[in-house]
Amino acid sequence: MTARGTPSRFLQSVLHNGVGRYVCQLKRISLIFSKKGQGSLGVRDFIEEGVVDFAKNNSGTVVYISPQSCRIPKIVAEYLNGNVKEETVTNKTSQEIAELITKLSNQSGLDIIRIRKPFHTDSPSIQGQWHPFTNRPLSIDPVGPQAK
Amino acid sequence: MSLLGMFWNQTVCLLQHFRGRKNRCYSLAVRAVRRAFVYASKARKAKRRSMRQLWIQRVAAASREQHMKYPALIHNLLKCSVALNRRVLCDLSITEPRSFQSLTALAHARRTEGLRAALGDGAEPPGVFSRITQLQ
Repeated sequence: MTARGTPSRFLQSVLHNGVGRYVCQLKRISLIFSKKGQGSLGVRDFIEEGVVDFAKNNSGTVVYISPQSCRIPKIVAEYLNGNVKEETVTNKTSQEIAELITKLSNQSGLDIIRIRKPFHTDSPSIQGQWHPFTNRPLSIDPVGPQAK
Repeated sequence: MSLLGMFWNQTVCLLQHFRGRKNRCYSLAVRAVRRAFVYASKARKAKRRSMRQLWIQRVAAASREQHMKYPALIHNLLKCSVALNRRVLCDLSITEPRSFQSLTALAHARRTEGLRAALGDGAEPPGVFSRITQLQ
């Protein structure tokens, strides 16, 4: 994949999350599965065991369980910045689905594309960024109050 | 399941910025995309080389502003066991000019001591910057 052909972004956190308090960026998580399909077995097991604990631990996230007649079970995660991420979970075990859901809840909603630099500062220069006159001696003497 | 459809679906995002008919016509686009991938693969090695070259250029320019040459700076910082790599030195020279000035001063002092020790034939006392301390 080319660098110019594929999108890229700089490293950032959503609204400096974590500097003060931490807000879980996962807004809504919907588990779409079928009541009788083979692929949804893992999802059904996870709903029996782990979903309630997950919902209690992450009180800021709304968990929707929607049994529908669907061929492929999905997990739809919506984030506070509006991004929606869909993951298909056919033939996954309950353990794998639990790990996947923790991964989704730890993510911020920012796009998973190439990050240009693995660091970011708001104030890169403390002593003042270099400009052509930083190391030049002054051409005139300092101007003081006028001597009368 | 047309190959044409698959091709356009997968690669149309990364050939949007190509010039001319390479972004519209299948035969030309196939060749252009393959070349783009080849260039991207080759460039990953070349990027490391060119970044290092850029850092060296910048550090050399900054040290020449402080009346010191790049090889002398690097060698004397090494002798003072200041293990700053070229990337960090480049960033310091841009964002922290006074710190870089003091690093060049350190290297200059070590250099003069080294020259005195080499040319003075032991008559003068050993220098401060060339003392080798044992870490405990």
